[in-house]
Amino acid sequence: MSAWNEHVTAALLGTERRDPPVLPEAPAEAGDRAGRLLDQAALLAVRRRAGLVPSGAAPEPVAPAPVEDRPVVPRAAAARLRRILAGEQTRVLPEWLGAAAERGYRVPAQALPDLLERGRGDRALRPPIARAAGRRGVWLALQNTDWAYLVGSGDDPGGGPEMWETGTRNRRVAYLTRLRSTEPERARELLRETWAKESAPDRAAFLAAFEHGLSPADEEFLEAALEDRGKDVRQLAADLLARLPGSAYGARMAARARGCLAAETRTVRGRRRTRIAVDPPHAHDEEMARDGIPFHPSGSFAPRGAGGPVGTRAAWLREILARTPLSTWTELFELPPMEIVCLPVGAAGEPSSRKGAVSESEGRDVHIGWARAALAQRDGAWARALLKGGVMVDEPEALADLLSVLPDGERDAAAADLIRWVEGRPDLLRLLERVPGPWAGPLAEAVVAALTASAARPGRRDEHLVTRLCRLADQRLEPAAAARLAPLAERGDAAPLGVAELIATLRFRDEMLKELTP
Amino acid sequence: MLGLAPDAASAKAAGGVAKPGKWGGTGCDDEAVWGECRGSGKSVYRTGVDLTEPAYRCTCPSRKFPCKHALGLLLMWADAVVEGGPRPGWVAEWVEERRERAGRAARRRAAAAGRGRDPKTAERREQRVDDGLAELDQWLRDQVAHGLAQAEKAPYRLWDDAARRLVDAQAGALAGQVRGLAAIPRRPGWPGRLLEEYALLRLLVRAHQRRDELPEGLRDTVRSRVGFTVPQEDVLSGGERVRDLWCVLGSRDTAQDLLTTRRVWLRGRRTGRPALVLSFAAPGASLDASLVTGTQVDAELAFYPGAQPLRALVAGRYGAAEPAVPGGTAVREFLDEHAAALAKDPWLDRWPAALENARPARAEGGGLYVIDGAGDALPLRTGDPWRLLALSGGGPVTLSGEWSPRGLRPLAAWHETEGTVVL
Repeated sequence: MSAWNEHVTAALLGTERRDPPVLPEAPAEAGDRAGRLLDQAALLAVRRRAGLVPSGAAPEPVAPAPVEDRPVVPRAAAARLRRILAGEQTRVLPEWLGAAAERGYRVPAQALPDLLERGRGDRALRPPIARAAGRRGVWLALQNTDWAYLVGSGDDPGGGPEMWETGTRNRRVAYLTRLRSTEPERARELLRETWAKESAPDRAAFLAAFEHGLSPADEEFLEAALEDRGKDVRQLAADLLARLPGSAYGARMAARARGCLAAETRTVRGRRRTRIAVDPPHAHDEEMARDGIPFHPSGSFAPRGAGGPVGTRAAWLREILARTPLSTWTELFELPPMEIVCLPVGAAGEPSSRKGAVSESEGRDVHIGWARAALAQRDGAWARALLKGGVMVDEPEALADLLSVLPDGERDAAAADLIRWVEGRPDLLRLLERVPGPWAGPLAEAVVAALTASAARPGRRDEHLVTRLCRLADQRLEPAAAARLAPLAERGDAAPLGVAELIATLRFRDEMLKELTP
Repeated sequence: MLGLAPDAASAKAAGGVAKPGKWGGTGCDDEAVWGECRGSGKSVYRTGVDLTEPAYRCTCPSRKFPCKHALGLLLMWADAVVEGGPRPGWVAEWVEERRERAGRAARRRAAAAGRGRDPKTAERREQRVDDGLAELDQWLRDQVAHGLAQAEKAPYRLWDDAARRLVDAQAGALAGQVRGLAAIPRRPGWPGRLLEEYALLRLLVRAHQRRDELPEGLRDTVRSRVGFTVPQEDVLSGGERVRDLWCVLGSRDTAQDLLTTRRVWLRGRRTGRPALVLSFAAPGASLDASLVTGTQVDAELAFYPGAQPLRALVAGRYGAAEPAVPGGTAVREFLDEHAAALAKDPWLDRWPAALENARPARAEGGGLYVIDGAGDALPLRTGDPWRLLALSGGGPVTLSGEWSPRGLRPLAAWHETEGTVVL
């Protein structure tokens, strides 16, 4: 036993019970036993502290992080990231990360702990963090279980076939989705093996992965799923089948749809005119239910113009049209989508005395049905026709959704047209909420114009609208728009609340993006 | 620059103020930066920063210090947006006034030192401390005589009572130390630690009893450890003066009984001497922020007396601070230096380290260490090693820290590409 340990033992027991150990090097002094023990211990303690040699147990250096293949962000951008992480304009963090990753940068290593801690509390941040954290980020996350989410959550999530055998539902869905994107056939066969043993919620989650790599080869599997015990599974299967071109499901639905819509041609003042005659289904049957049209489709109790609800017949019609291949109509009317959309619509068997105008309610049912179909079937021509045709004035959400179907080049201009269309109404917010950023070009101009016009109108309602619009625009509007908004904020006390903040945020984002430009 | 901010909100606000559009009449020279900031409404605030300290002045009503205007001005100055020029009247006046006031304060201190203190009061205090230490000695011997084993279950009162008696005996520095001992028996390996602390206390008591036989430096060390303070003016007038390029290794704030203490560790580039600059702040007040981690400043320090002088005051600065990487040493070199310091002051419990080529390492049990190029390791004492790990990525950095018998507390690190990082 070392001299020090002997002293500790003696002190623990107490000098009343045991004599202190002898320490020859300690100066011999008179005094009681306790004092002697303490004096000797002091000598030993200082000796131990001064004589400390580097730890003998040889700790192993931490395995070095892999070499980064991307450069760190420029100095100014790093300083701004520190400011964002310290609480300034935190909402721009996803955009900062996205922009840095897109331009081939990674975050400075010193910011990683703060950043990974953020991602721990905010799931939405995790994908952009994974893209910008670099290899050092994964290396660090491997050493802290709190940050384990980063491992395998990037663009290349880990896990091989064993993930399908043993993973949690989310990991298995991720694996299946990945496989669907590369080898849809194998994914389907893999799922078929365990299909009967999976629980209904699992079956629904797995089936949802079929939207990736959907092809006619999936038809048989999906048809079988129409008979599934799980309600969600049946609905998903029907929705997927409706998106499959040339399927038997599509043909069944088209047959139903042709029974509801018919082209009526007559001659008015010497000109041939075509009119769409609408006859909604009279009854609901088993077959319709099997193909995913419920007895009470969602929205069937919603109010409709004349005061009453939409009603089940109209709702069935909407469902059927939404699930019918749009090619059915171009074949039936022998016209391009743009002209079909503009055709007058009326209830079947109505007297012609109604001047052939579009009957409000029937027209709406038909157009909403087509809009849903265009969205599900990703049909750009039909989306364009419905947006331009000006036939759906009361459905800003449905219209905003259609924007996503348009090709990239057209989207901004179409969105700008829509904004001008609904300008000045509360619909504007409902519409803009559904238009993802970045708002650039004509769209940005339209938003600025709408903001300026609303700010010019007095009244509490417009004030509120401006505030909410600013809040919505601050992360989506292109930063260059700040210059066009500046006159609005310089009106002194009359400057609307929120505009100054919007401009500050836009300027912040502008500087931020400039710093990240190589 | 933002390290000067008293809190995060000020740092954030400063970013908003640091826009050339908001300012008029800005300018700078070697010693000062100034400008007029348009605030909200019609008011215009005149802001000036004396770069030698730094010291701040602003006409705004903010209670924060330095206020966002001063910080914003400094940010712009750091970005080289502020151009040089002659001082306007109000700036020149202010700087003059500051110099004058500093001169007056120095004269006043000199006068106070000359007057001396009442010898009777001092004598009474000496007597009280002697009695208090004798009582502490008895208490320490009682603890060891009855056995330390009882300390594991002992109530907090055991140490608190002893500390109170030391407060009554006007040995305040020891009282805090004794009260702190109460936490030791809650930690693993406590018997050894407790015996160490008791033994060193006894050593101090014995040294104080024999103070007349001690050499002068050691006597000063013992007196300051017991709680006799040396007035600042005495240090400035009589303390050892060392002028050097002082590197700021790092700083650490600790709060105790509503008082925040900031410890700033320095090391001289030419002399290699370590120094400790302490500042204190009551709640709400901001601490001295004139020494910024990762910079070096040409300054003259005045050291407090002692066998191993460490604590010091900044007596004078010669020019503004500039960014600098401290010169580091190997682990073995550092330990040698620490041992030499311990030989002069056995009660030394903190010593600044600057290690070169330091890499993080892990022992089998998971404990973290730093290891140098020669493979010598020191244990790390920190709850949040992540920034150090992230920065180093397992590779070498220059690391500064505060060494105590229980391990190295990392303060700052210097990295090739990322610069100075406060840990």
